Amino acid sequence: MTAAAAKAARQHRTRHWLRRGLFVAYGFLGYAFFYLPIVILVIFSFNDSRSVSKWSGFTLRWYEAMLQDHQIMLALWNSVFVAVVSTLIATVLGTLAALALERYRRFPARLFADITLYLPIIIPDIAMAIMLLAFFKLSGIGFQTWKVHIAGLRLAVPYSVIIGHVAFNISFVAVVVRARLAQMDRTLDEAAQDLYATPWRTFWRVTLPLMMPGVLGGALLAFTLSLDDFVITFFTSGAGFNTLPVRVFGMIRKGVTPKINAVSSLMLGFSLLLVTLALLAARGNQDRKIRMF
Amino acid sequence: MSDASIPAVELRDVVKRFDDVVAVDHVSLQIAPGEFFALLGPSGSGKTTTLRMIGGFELPTEGEVFIEGEPQGYKPPYQRPVNTVFQNYALFPHMTVAQNIAFGLEMRGVPKDEIRRRVGEMLDLVRLSGYEKRRPHQLSGGEQQRVALARALINQPKVLLLDEPLGALDLKLRKAMQLELKAIQEQVGITFVYVTHDQEEAITMADRIAVMNHGRVLQVGPPPEVYEQPHTLFVADFIGETNFIPVEVLRVGATVEVLTAGGARLQAGWAEPSLNAGASAMAAVRPERMRLYRPNAAPEGRSWNRVEGIVRHVIYHGLDIRYEIHLAGGCSLHVRLPVGHPEAGAFQRGEHVIVVWPSEATRVFRRDS
Amino acid sequence: MNDALRRYPALRAWLLLAPSFLWLLLFFIIPLGIIVVYSFLQRDVYGGVIWEWTLDNYRRVFDPLYFKTFLYSLWIAFLTAFFSLLFGYPLAYFIATRPERIRNALVLALMIPFWTNFLVRTYAWLTLLRTNTGLINVWLMQWGIIDKPLPLFGNTFAITLGLVYGWMPDMILPIYAALEQIDHRLLEAAEDLYASGWQVFRRVIWPLSLPGVVAGTMLVFIPSLGAFVTPAILGGGKRLMIGNVITNQFLGAHDWPFGSALSVLMMAVMLLATLVYFRTGGERAGQGGL
Repeated sequence: MTAAAAKAARQHRTRHWLRRGLFVAYGFLGYAFFYLPIVILVIFSFNDSRSVSKWSGFTLRWYEAMLQDHQIMLALWNSVFVAVVSTLIATVLGTLAALALERYRRFPARLFADITLYLPIIIPDIAMAIMLLAFFKLSGIGFQTWKVHIAGLRLAVPYSVIIGHVAFNISFVAVVVRARLAQMDRTLDEAAQDLYATPWRTFWRVTLPLMMPGVLGGALLAFTLSLDDFVITFFTSGAGFNTLPVRVFGMIRKGVTPKINAVSSLMLGFSLLLVTLALLAARGNQDRKIRMF
Repeated sequence: MSDASIPAVELRDVVKRFDDVVAVDHVSLQIAPGEFFALLGPSGSGKTTTLRMIGGFELPTEGEVFIEGEPQGYKPPYQRPVNTVFQNYALFPHMTVAQNIAFGLEMRGVPKDEIRRRVGEMLDLVRLSGYEKRRPHQLSGGEQQRVALARALINQPKVLLLDEPLGALDLKLRKAMQLELKAIQEQVGITFVYVTHDQEEAITMADRIAVMNHGRVLQVGPPPEVYEQPHTLFVADFIGETNFIPVEVLRVGATVEVLTAGGARLQAGWAEPSLNAGASAMAAVRPERMRLYRPNAAPEGRSWNRVEGIVRHVIYHGLDIRYEIHLAGGCSLHVRLPVGHPEAGAFQRGEHVIVVWPSEATRVFRRDS
Repeated sequence: MNDALRRYPALRAWLLLAPSFLWLLLFFIIPLGIIVVYSFLQRDVYGGVIWEWTLDNYRRVFDPLYFKTFLYSLWIAFLTAFFSLLFGYPLAYFIATRPERIRNALVLALMIPFWTNFLVRTYAWLTLLRTNTGLINVWLMQWGIIDKPLPLFGNTFAITLGLVYGWMPDMILPIYAALEQIDHRLLEAAEDLYASGWQVFRRVIWPLSLPGVVAGTMLVFIPSLGAFVTPAILGGGKRLMIGNVITNQFLGAHDWPFGSALSVLMMAVMLLATLVYFRTGGERAGQGGL
């Protein structure tokens, strides 16, 4: 190689490494952009002053305040209650719908059903929220909570919120379950029927067990979406009914203190927990998937 | 004890339509009890659909399916005394081998001890003893296939349906499994209905073969009959190797005589009934019936057919030597001479030869069958 | 009944679909219908409706006041999509060019914040951007870099930043998916033919990643258009988007017909965008983003 060529090669290499370095730096910056605001928010939840931007020392008092705040704890309970109930309903309904759409390829009005099931995913939540608002107001259903006595517990069931949550969660569950069903070997159903299993028994012994990862994944997604929802809950809550996001919104309106940071950190922690659960489940599912050829 | 005069399976004028596609076109079959019956045909011939209609996975658009004389009507698979070995085995991935095999018995409420005993017997039959606790993904293709077989047989069905069960196996394993399947069938005496596109497989294993194409059954008969006396051009072509010579029919009736493009007159042993003098037809002869001679050395007489040609290729095939001969009329013939034969290896490329074969080995078909 | 079920698979299908379909019919289709119908009705003095058909509501949309908000929303949605693309594309490229083992971890790391509560994330920016008490201004002034606080809050900048922060992963994922599928041999072939890095990008990589770009753009544009939380929190009450106006019509001014008309129009624009998305095959590239 001539001297000039060697020099050119070296220049090329330096440029190459410069480019690479720049690139990696950008990547690093990108991730910092995403994580820093959250990290700062969590840090200031421990701030020993009423400021969320000037650090005065470490304390847990905001967390104590949060735990002692009856409103917040009630909102937390409401969030979880609504999420659990709506997830249960939506998972069952969504799974049935997914079965119908994946197992039966051609039947009248299939496209119509498919689109209807798909719409809640693409419609903006503000639109869905006001649609539900209008509907509940007009139909007289209203936004009260049903007072229910079950097993010695007195529960206030916010039916309008739950209805709304189920309405958008059905579609998400259906999408996830459909994806799983599409992967499944269809001849397994036939094999079961060939071996004297009625459709009902085929479903319980063959289809459902193999479909379970999808159903659980859909349920987890629905649970997460329900916990995190703000807009739809905001519009369909009766007076005085709060879920955690709605409560936080109200708190922000009233004034910013690290207590909000504490509640936010709680919510972040919860999200992280759910994500971890989902990952572990997916990992376990992966192993099983390999074994399922 | 089943009455030997009632067919194990009967299809009466069965039609299956999917939208405008006719997958099965007026098929009528009778399968005898204890028979190993093959449905043979290329992809799309309707053989699998026919099988599925016996099993109840599809319902006929017209016609009726009978199992031991009982019309099956709209009965679903779980109500038919029939079991299936699927092409992809369809073993339940979330169950062990034992659980897979026991599934049918479990569904019918057989007591646990009896299940365990019979599963053990089945595993012995398919030579997989000790595999109870394994899972399908841990098995090789051949092992999975045997589990699928055991899972079906354990239920002692009246008829066992097999949908190209050996398709996924490599050649050597396939040949071994063919023998094993045949042996098992003879041992348990159950009627087997076997779908395949491999004509060699059908000829090896089946008691009778139904050749299908475009949804129709073209011919039904024992392998020797289907091989040596094909009824249509398609059957002659699909089964084994055949030489085809385009000809014009000169005479039909007690004797059949045709004319090749090259001007040779051939006597034939059989012609399709619908052919008349003057029609365009195809003469068919199996390569192994043909022999090569030097010009002037060929036998004479009406019992032999003779054509002239030039040797184009000589291919050594281990057991025999194949000659590709180009005829004056433009078509080619393959001639197979077994290696031990005195004439084998005697001819070179470019030599003029006379191809000779017995007249009765010639069959004449319509060009479009 | 069992026989009918057996013979008509359509019956079985609809039996399975019935519960969810009924639910959606009652609580989605009908409410949607109500909104559409309402957009053509008149408002009465007491906050209800008069059953007289009119196009007034739609005409009012073009009132400078409201139309400006509409345009402003479109503008913000566009800005959000633009900056998401500008900053997101290189990030997608970055991930796609890492070794395979790291890539999945990187994608996961990207998604984790995305899966946390949107309100919380928006609040995080509130604490950073506020004019006098926001962390950024406080620090910059503390270190003497600036004398007066920067106007980072209650303006287009804040809203766009909040939306970009919230939706950029939806831009990055489809682009990443498209980039990942590009056969490296194509790139090698291009370089082999003396194409410089920039040329390879312009002529090979960019066109191939286009479906992902389109998918990502739609996935960011549509939610940004209907933003409600972000302008409410980061707009400081001064900057309203169409989502806020609609909310006011329903909860404040009780002019439901007008609010309905605004909603219908907003959804129409989104539907248009969705059609573009499906038409340009964005769905294929965008699966990961959903």
